[in-house]
Amino acid sequence: MMRDEGGTAAVTTLVMLPLLLIVLVGVLELGALRAVAYRATAAADLATIVAVGDQDQAELVRTGMLRLAPDAADTAREYFARNLSASTPVLAASAETIAASADVATFPTAPSFDPRTGARYDRPTVRLIAAVPVRTPGFAALLLPGVTTLTIRSASSPR
Amino acid sequence: MKQRAAMLATAFTLFSSVSADARDPFSDESRSLPPIVEQSDDAVAFVVPAGLYYVTDTYVGNVVATSGATTTYSTTTVRESTGTYARVIDAVDTGSSSAFDGASFNGRGALTDGRALAGTYYENFVLTTNGYVPVSIVFFQDDSESRRRASAPSPSPAPSAPVATSVPGGGALASRGAVTPAPSFKPTTPTTPIVPVAPKLRAGVALAPHGATLDSAEVLRGRLVHFWPRAFANDVAVPIRSWRLVSVQPDRISANSGNNEPLAAQWIQMPASGVRWSLRFEIFTELAPRERLEAEISITVRSPALID
Repeated sequence: MMRDEGGTAAVTTLVMLPLLLIVLVGVLELGALRAVAYRATAAADLATIVAVGDQDQAELVRTGMLRLAPDAADTAREYFARNLSASTPVLAASAETIAASADVATFPTAPSFDPRTGARYDRPTVRLIAAVPVRTPGFAALLLPGVTTLTIRSASSPR
Repeated sequence: MKQRAAMLATAFTLFSSVSADARDPFSDESRSLPPIVEQSDDAVAFVVPAGLYYVTDTYVGNVVATSGATTTYSTTTVRESTGTYARVIDAVDTGSSSAFDGASFNGRGALTDGRALAGTYYENFVLTTNGYVPVSIVFFQDDSESRRRASAPSPSPAPSAPVATSVPGGGALASRGAVTPAPSFKPTTPTTPIVPVAPKLRAGVALAPHGATLDSAEVLRGRLVHFWPRAFANDVAVPIRSWRLVSVQPDRISANSGNNEPLAAQWIQMPASGVRWSLRFEIFTELAPRERLEAEISITVRSPALID
């Protein structure tokens, strides 16, 4: 009787262990991916906020109104790359490459509509949409894609 | 078997871990901001002649007054602002020549011995949209002489009180009994430039030294903004003598009052919804130092924020 129970436990462990490992790896990789997504989103948020703070001084002097600087998109792209560089070890591409391929749009006047998202902006706005490829070795070990692409979006305006 | 499985799981966990380095979002704060480029787009700004002031006493005529043996040459004025400006261009002593001799509309008189009178040359200006235009030169005489009455054959009469006769036409008459002859110059009608309407003064606030005045402005929270009180006479910029902030103050300001420097202001707190702040200045100009001007600019404080 005892020998039968011990054998059952051994078989059960042998069968369940791979399954447990798969679940464990999946959970860990999803958690890591979520952390990277948060950091990439924060990088985009900070970049658009910095770009909004980059105002056209000449226009402000002339009209007293806040207007985005002509290079606001470049500013957003630059700071997105800077902020994203902290996550370089887990990215499948360089931060500069990701920032360069990001879709950064500025809407200097308001109200305006974003043709890509359909959003309506009541203030001068900087919007950033980027595809961030992330290495997922855990998924690769499970025969899933080794790179997972996150799509992040951020928009800021002076309010 | 269980130990191996546990060891394998532990090893996998360790090797698949991801570093969690955090980025310091304030690491770039020490980076200096680019300097603000001052705009010089004021089309009416021009150079103000040195020493220029607003005329509050207008020339009326020359006066020759005799008291005993002393003859005084002076100039009468009337307390009146004709909207003109003037500056001193030369001050001459008795007998000395000046580059402006003959250039003044009222001429320069002479003493009894023929020496030219002492006094001051003023150049008059009128303010136009093209700037300060010189229109005339006037000489304000300020001299005196004493003469011995050696030729009096009889006891001299009692000294009379000083009698001064001023001719509105700009000429001067010697008092009766005085030995001073009439001045050598011809009395002329005063043609002091007179602008019938005094310049219309107004004040405003700009965001640059020569920037356009604004009724309202948007500022970013925490951003240091410079406000330049400006004054205009007939829409022509005039120098500011002093300004004073008379409204509710921002969170941080450079000064409550000043002269040529701007007010640097910074808002840290956001206003309540729908509330607009304003900055109100009291301004005095060089042209009308006693005339108080007011300028106000409405402020809307905004802060960069994410859009959901």
